[in-house]
Amino acid sequence: MSLKRRLPIGSSVLAASALITAAAVYAAQDSAADSALPAAAPSSTAEARAAMIEPMLDKYCSRCHNDFDLAASLSVEDLKASDIRTGKHAEAWEKILRRVAAGEMPPHSKPQPDPAMRAAFVQWLGQSRASFAAAHPDPGKATLRRLNRYEYANAVRDLLSLDADFSRELPQDNSGFGFDNIADVLTVSPTLMERYVALAGKVGRLATGLTSRREFVTTWQVPKDGSVKNSGVPAYNERASADLPLASRGGGAFRYFARYDGEYEITAWLNANTNNETDRLTEDRYSVRVPVKAGAHLVGLSFRRRIWPDETVQTLHNDTDKVPLPRDPPQMLPLDVWVDGQRVSTLEVPSYRMHQRYSQQNFPRDVLQIDVAGPYGASGVPDTPSRRAIFTCHPKRAGQEEACAQEIVSTLARRAWRRPVGAFDIAPVMRIYAQERAASDFEHGVEAALEAILVSPEFLFVMESDPAGSLPGSVHTVSDLELATRLSLFLWSSIPDERLLTLAERGKLRTPGVLDAEITRMLADPRARALTANFAGQWLYLRNLDQQKPDIDVFPKFDTRLKQAMATETEMFFASVLSGNRPVTDFIASDYIFLNQRLAEHYGIPGVTGTAFRKVRLKPEWHRGGLLGQASILTVTSYNNHTSVVKRGKWILDNILASPPPPPPPNVPALKTEHDGRLLSAREQLELHRANPTCAACHVKMDPLGFALENFNAVGGWRTVDAGQPIDSGAVLPDGTKFAGISGLQTILLNRKDAFARAFTERLMIYALARGLGPQDMPEVRAIAGDAAADGYRVRSIIKGIVTSPAFTMRKTPEPFKAAYGRRDRLSFASLPMQEEAP
Amino acid sequence: MRITRKPLSRRTVLRGAGTAMALPFLEAMMPSARAADIGSRPKRLQVFYSPNGMTMPEYRPTGEGTGFTLPSTLEPLEPHRDSIAFITGLGHPQAAAMGDAPAGHGRSCPAFLTGAHARQTEGPDIRCGTSMDQVFAAHLGNATQIPSMELSIDLPSMAGSCDINYSCAYTNGISWLTPTVPLPVEANPRAVFERLFGDGEALDKKSRLARLRKQASILDFVMEDTARLSGRLGMEDRRKLDEYLDATRAIEKRIQRAETSPPPRQAAAMTQPPGIPDDFAEHVKLMIDLQILAMQADMTRIGTFMIGRELSNRTYPEIGVPDSHHMLSHHGNNPDKMRQLAKINRYHMTFFAYALQRMKETKDGEGSLFDRTLVIRGSAFGDSNEHDFTDLPVAVSGGLVQGGRHVRVEHGTTMSNLLLAGLNLLDVPVTSFGDSTGPLQELARA
Repeated sequence: MSLKRRLPIGSSVLAASALITAAAVYAAQDSAADSALPAAAPSSTAEARAAMIEPMLDKYCSRCHNDFDLAASLSVEDLKASDIRTGKHAEAWEKILRRVAAGEMPPHSKPQPDPAMRAAFVQWLGQSRASFAAAHPDPGKATLRRLNRYEYANAVRDLLSLDADFSRELPQDNSGFGFDNIADVLTVSPTLMERYVALAGKVGRLATGLTSRREFVTTWQVPKDGSVKNSGVPAYNERASADLPLASRGGGAFRYFARYDGEYEITAWLNANTNNETDRLTEDRYSVRVPVKAGAHLVGLSFRRRIWPDETVQTLHNDTDKVPLPRDPPQMLPLDVWVDGQRVSTLEVPSYRMHQRYSQQNFPRDVLQIDVAGPYGASGVPDTPSRRAIFTCHPKRAGQEEACAQEIVSTLARRAWRRPVGAFDIAPVMRIYAQERAASDFEHGVEAALEAILVSPEFLFVMESDPAGSLPGSVHTVSDLELATRLSLFLWSSIPDERLLTLAERGKLRTPGVLDAEITRMLADPRARALTANFAGQWLYLRNLDQQKPDIDVFPKFDTRLKQAMATETEMFFASVLSGNRPVTDFIASDYIFLNQRLAEHYGIPGVTGTAFRKVRLKPEWHRGGLLGQASILTVTSYNNHTSVVKRGKWILDNILASPPPPPPPNVPALKTEHDGRLLSAREQLELHRANPTCAACHVKMDPLGFALENFNAVGGWRTVDAGQPIDSGAVLPDGTKFAGISGLQTILLNRKDAFARAFTERLMIYALARGLGPQDMPEVRAIAGDAAADGYRVRSIIKGIVTSPAFTMRKTPEPFKAAYGRRDRLSFASLPMQEEAP
Repeated sequence: MRITRKPLSRRTVLRGAGTAMALPFLEAMMPSARAADIGSRPKRLQVFYSPNGMTMPEYRPTGEGTGFTLPSTLEPLEPHRDSIAFITGLGHPQAAAMGDAPAGHGRSCPAFLTGAHARQTEGPDIRCGTSMDQVFAAHLGNATQIPSMELSIDLPSMAGSCDINYSCAYTNGISWLTPTVPLPVEANPRAVFERLFGDGEALDKKSRLARLRKQASILDFVMEDTARLSGRLGMEDRRKLDEYLDATRAIEKRIQRAETSPPPRQAAAMTQPPGIPDDFAEHVKLMIDLQILAMQADMTRIGTFMIGRELSNRTYPEIGVPDSHHMLSHHGNNPDKMRQLAKINRYHMTFFAYALQRMKETKDGEGSLFDRTLVIRGSAFGDSNEHDFTDLPVAVSGGLVQGGRHVRVEHGTTMSNLLLAGLNLLDVPVTSFGDSTGPLQELARA
């Protein structure tokens, strides 16, 4: 083997500081140099780094990663240190860097380079990749991006000051790379287009107040309690929602949009002691009509909470077909009707309605469903924030109409399309206006124009253009307007507001300090809640919580309220890290969490009373803090009736360490549940499983992480025994490190702060760029995470790092159309012999 | 006041009406004129899909030909035994890994109706094949207002629960408009209702027509605008914009079609389903009812229905299965888990039986909806534990096929042959589909 290899020129662009550090590391290990390494006499330390790379690959990697064995589809035989300079084999080099830096490669059973040498290798590779990336910025493939349903709904809300959520009116979008805003995945089908057209009409009419005066019923179901017993019919003896008064119990509240000033009938469907065959009977229907102004309202119903007597109806013989009825006749209970926090009426309802035939368990009277019907006697033109936002001028004569319409359409189109518009741009929309004006009146003309703006490709897609004559594959900085839209989609899942748009129009967005200030302003804005809902909701799998249905027989105390509290805790926690610019390491461990009474009782934490959430300082003996002790995450990573060491371990690898294991092979051998006639614990079952080397490769990484959380049951409650066996939360990492319990796990993860910062940056970057990351992005991820580390791992440092990264601020002129994709696919079946339909 | 006083619960409607007829207020809304003038009575296609394979020993009918017995999973279908042909031995060779990563669901589910090999990707360049129902839809062209309906019980997009290395698009739905455009599924009955009958705003003929004209001119504008913009875009982006343009054209045709169709007759008081029912059984039946209603009104002739997303982890405590579906499907031959999986399979079959019953009861001209419908029921795996895509639990029904049979085809026969034969039964004159080698001879009515 030749000991002298050509040295990479790329190393000349290495940052000076990096050279010094690398040199120090190298010098430190020089005395203990592995005798098998070439004793080259390099002319500089950078060259020395490069010179040791290939021999190291040969010595430590090529026994498995060669052209013949091709372990993990990787061969190092063709890799040359000089690749870094040319960007060749970037994916392989990134893979090597990641696994070697994490200490996963070479495997612990194989010969290891000594630690200083490993560090020097990692440092050289990281720095070299960074230098290459700095010299060759690559923002990745640009794909035309469609707004997803949440972005659409937020954009409509912000454009029209329309306080209504339209996201559920669109089909749910597909996701890739863990998020549902990925440009490549967001396709357009006729089904979706049909919804866009219909929805534009709905939105347009509602915003302009030009809806039908017919009455409609809007129905809202009170969340069931999540139990299978009684079909989960609500019967709550506690305050049902933060939107209802403190001294209330039961009922519920929801957002309702009244189209006109008028009377609205608010209806309560009450529970009864009967089974679900007979719920929602007219006998249990109570309603009242109240005047309501046009616009968005919070409509609620609730009972009054009494200390005594308890309103629970005692049914003596549960679970039998026939029950004796209570001796006392029902009393009348007040059921308060709320609109925007004001009591507008009080209904008197009997405290029970019972039937001999069937009984549920002891229950208080509660509301199953709320209907709002109306308007009755609709009057006038509704005065809503939307109408005020849209109709900025009011033509007095027919002659003024055209100019006014022009003004309105320009204003709306500019915000909706996120760019300045001229008369030429809006001419086609004005034609729609004119057509509808001719058929109807001025306001209907404006409404039609608004519909057109909302189905226009410029609204639905994020249009970005390339400089005239730019070559495919060349890279340029995006315009301020394009940057503004990227930024608002990232931080708000919505369109830019007036201020951001104006800054961009004036070309001021990139002046020093401005972008920084805008990020800070936008994160402080309520619209930044979108980052919690859409980013955290998917990063942490929180969106799955709603569909999680823990087994009520195993967890009788689990119900919808607890589930909601779990979600709220994590949302508030994430939002507070964001708003307080806390270190992202709070996600691993923190001395505070957010609790209300229900959740505190679930955790066994004393001293928290009431339904309101508050920040609680933690004591170590409560075993909480960070994300890993939160019931939401412990629940979504469990099965419905038992915990899953594997799911939890995988969740940590995926989301905290960004080191996902490969998928399991089919025909996984079943876990043996008993041995020698004795039932095995989950730990013993998995230990047997790991005896199979195929399984062990991944489980040796996943299982220990999950074992450490075994003190938490499948709904995140604390436990010390399971099925009569004491819980053993001890675990051993592949490198032999022993640890136990959540605190042990937190220590392990805190020792890998940098890996976590990188993992978090990766996740956030996928979301921000709306695409998966490739090897070309990894140097930037490391740089952003590195800068964040220097700033105490503060979350805004990462956000700002992403927003100012080349991937976010630049665009690559798309490659030429490939004949292999596109139109030909569409015709694949049409090209088969097929008869024309008979005329 | 013309506000409904009726309870909204489907159960209550059933009870109150004292009949097995569901959603009577919806049936009142079907176009009045259509039933009479359907002289030739159109052919229709309805596909039922259940996720995560089967406990095959509890599914596979014993005995072949007409003398077969139904094992426990199929018992709920006993009343329809004579109108179902059970076909075993069909597979999807395209679901094989062919060098891709070891993941089963992400390949088998998209192969089910396409006979195509799904490209392994989480994002860029998702690609499979045009599904059989969409080939039929293309053949029908603008015969109906809605080309096809894709319904599901599960909302798509559960982060972290799609197949590794495969976009969720591969497991959320089974219908593919083109090899690159998977069709979104709808799980919300209210959205389906609005799609069929509108949001109830424009009820009278005049305002309905005015609405349709306005939409048509807006779509004209969109097409102009798109043409203008696509000049500014790179070719890749233009491809995406083409999708949008194609979709716009399809809607425009539909609107033209709607202008010449009689409006759906609306009930005096309109009650929309409030949303997704909490109760699984109620949800499934409501979706089936809506699907059948749309067929009966001839608003569409094609439906696909997924009783669960592939990889669904739903639990079924109501039938005593507290463990999650996908987990049970990898039972490792543990008898208890296999029993639980079989329970789920059987439960799903009861809804298939319900759908068949409803189709038979629903009038279509002189006969029933069932007469002229091709029904295909299946899963993308046979033995789920093995991710077995070579022996699928498939059944066909409807008046177009000869029921009361158990047909064993040669193991390894591609299911594309069945899909091809199905297309031919529906008068689509294609000679190949997916990886077909020829139409499955056993399908046609004897």
